[in-house]
Amino acid sequence: MTTEQQAQVSEAQIAVHWREEECYTPPAKFIGQANAADPDIFTRFQERNFPSCFKEYADLLSWDCYWHTTLDTDNAPFWKWFVGGRLNACFNCVDRHLASSRNKAALIWVPEPESEETEVITYQELYRRVNEFAVLLREWGGVHAGDRVTFHLPMVPRLPVAMLACARLGVIHSEVFGGFSGAACGGRVADSQSSILVTMDGYYRNGQLIDHKVKADEAVEEARRLGHKIEKVLVWRRHPGRYASKSAMVDGRDFFVDELLADYRGATVEPVSQPAEAPLFLMYTSGTTGRPKGCQHSTGGYLAYVAGTSKYYQDIHPEDTYWCCADIGWITGHSYIVYGPLALGATSVMYEGVPTYPDAGRVWRIAERLGVNIFHTAPTTIRMLRKLGPDEPGKYDYHLKHMTTVGEPIEPEVWRWYHDVAGKGEAAIVDTWWQTENGGFLGSTLPALQPMKPGSCGPGVLGIYPVIYDEDGDVVEAGSGRAGNICIRNPWPGIFQTIWGQPERFRQIYYEKYCRDSGSTDWRDWPYFAGDGAVQAADGYFRILGRVDDVINVAGHRLGTKELESASLTVAEVAEAAAVPVMDELRGRAVEMYVALKPGVSSSGAIEDKVAAAIDREIGKIARPKHVWIVADMPKTRSGKIMRRVIAGISNFADVGDVSTLANPEIVEDIRHRIQAEKLARGEVPRQLTPEEAEEIKAFGRAE
Amino acid sequence: MVMTQQYISGELSVLLTQLRSVATVRGCAREVERLRQEAETLPIVTLGCVTARALRLTDALCWDSLTRGDMPAFRCQAEVSAQLFEFAVCAGLLTAE
Repeated sequence: MTTEQQAQVSEAQIAVHWREEECYTPPAKFIGQANAADPDIFTRFQERNFPSCFKEYADLLSWDCYWHTTLDTDNAPFWKWFVGGRLNACFNCVDRHLASSRNKAALIWVPEPESEETEVITYQELYRRVNEFAVLLREWGGVHAGDRVTFHLPMVPRLPVAMLACARLGVIHSEVFGGFSGAACGGRVADSQSSILVTMDGYYRNGQLIDHKVKADEAVEEARRLGHKIEKVLVWRRHPGRYASKSAMVDGRDFFVDELLADYRGATVEPVSQPAEAPLFLMYTSGTTGRPKGCQHSTGGYLAYVAGTSKYYQDIHPEDTYWCCADIGWITGHSYIVYGPLALGATSVMYEGVPTYPDAGRVWRIAERLGVNIFHTAPTTIRMLRKLGPDEPGKYDYHLKHMTTVGEPIEPEVWRWYHDVAGKGEAAIVDTWWQTENGGFLGSTLPALQPMKPGSCGPGVLGIYPVIYDEDGDVVEAGSGRAGNICIRNPWPGIFQTIWGQPERFRQIYYEKYCRDSGSTDWRDWPYFAGDGAVQAADGYFRILGRVDDVINVAGHRLGTKELESASLTVAEVAEAAAVPVMDELRGRAVEMYVALKPGVSSSGAIEDKVAAAIDREIGKIARPKHVWIVADMPKTRSGKIMRRVIAGISNFADVGDVSTLANPEIVEDIRHRIQAEKLARGEVPRQLTPEEAEEIKAFGRAE
Repeated sequence: MVMTQQYISGELSVLLTQLRSVATVRGCAREVERLRQEAETLPIVTLGCVTARALRLTDALCWDSLTRGDMPAFRCQAEVSAQLFEFAVCAGLLTAE
């Protein structure tokens, strides 16, 4: 990007920015075996073939009854996929593989202690375990299709077994990440109204057997506080027959699963045929209100989407040993440890513990030992592995054909280490962009057909047509160098159906911003607002920039303007607040707060002190503002948005830009005169900003 | 929203549990619990602030242990602090400088 182009992009929006990189091509050996090696696939998934193109994904599944409508948009934006179709997710992930692959490993579980044996679970064994647990849930637990069951389980095989058992019955499962507190779990249980909680006594992490059951007691209490009763707590034991928790079992509420299962040995239950649009699971994600959002994913659309993307983007073949080094407690694990790979009949590796325990070579030892040839993890883990053991991969004899990175933008230098050192230069890498709400990948490269570009996730995946809009809803053209909000113009089968129990919130958060006609049933009027900033290069590749709202980098601490403003608003007298960066020789940037007071409240030094103290208390001393300025009003647009760009310009003695379109342009001069005079009186003589600093200030607040 | 970064909140929550287990000052322990709740329930964008506050707490705990001459507690706290810092840098919640 040129400096001129950067001028239009907020520094905050480009929390991660780097120059365009050279492309890499995958090895010929990889292309020769890839599932998607024929460019004709792009034609099949062109927009003119939407939505019927997704039949190709749905045909990867076994249906009890074929669908009559591929996409029903009648109740936009609550899309329905494959309407009329019926299937069972468990049957697709387990039963249908028995005929050809009964004794093939479905899951290989690696416990964290290296002294413990790796556990191989064949499709036959998985079938047996899933059936027994499903019968237990149905007959002992009394749950039926449509009921919810919550799991608070760590990375043990009991987790996919429990998920598939629920799927077999049509019961909606909701897994809460095992590391989360009991209170967080209880909140999610109450929200989903689950009557059964499935947990475990303990698990290994960093060499310690963590007491996990104690959290179940907290969860029950938290759910009770929220007005919901958890009737039964099912407790798996990490070491069957040996209880690892100090928490007492509560009579009549808590039950050991291994004891109950004795009554269901060899029991089976027929998979319940479900409508394609029946919910399969809830995956909670944090929200802006503090109330978690239960993202509701469907059975047919979701399963088809993760099967399709696993086949083409993960390039999973039945003979591969695939390891997604993530936690099933997140969407990545649901889609790309359990449902996607198992729908394809692959072998999926699960690891219990910390990737760097007991040392930075652990991951690569597992890859060597198990013959892993597809590896999938997040940039945070990659950075950690690189930092703690940059040369470790070279010590192990493993060979990867394919590697995935997921979850965050990855810096080119980290990408290159992943490719050159971890992948030994032998693997195709796919960088993926997507979200909990999406079910599966939205942006990536088709590994045999599209070159890899470090730092860019790639174009939209098959059947996904992304676009970048500016705040006014105008398209930001590819190659313009400008950033904006990445949106998806069309629905896709993996998209979540709603926020559990909060359909209005679903509509408001994800569709309201760019909806063209709220009465329309045409999907073209309902772009999906992803909430991530992005920039698109001329070649169509997207570079994801992360959060859309602004941050101020103070001595290495990335402080969100929203948090600073929220802290200020905890002061009773404050009506409005705006945080802006100001150049600071010592810390790089410092925070200045502008606050407007409620009617009838007089300005005083005491209120300024209260605001500073509130930020101290809520965020910490690092965020303490250099100044708190009480102003009569904020410069605002006609729609009421505070123009932080203008305020930042004033604080930095920089150009405030065009203010003629503001609702109250006269306030700008008032504020400028007063603030700059006070600064000068205090001896804060402004220095000349560098061109880059001036551009940063000019662009500040664009994210709003 | 904002990519698939929920796992960062999960890892941070786990590290805060560790921090809670080495918090020798009652007020700090309560604050760690509050931070953990925030990590688990608030938007991902708040995690940088949560981490910064947690690191300041580890500093306070370490100083308290040093002042009291409690070296075993200091070692545990310093270890958790280092893990927290390493994770935060690798997760992009803090910059290394």
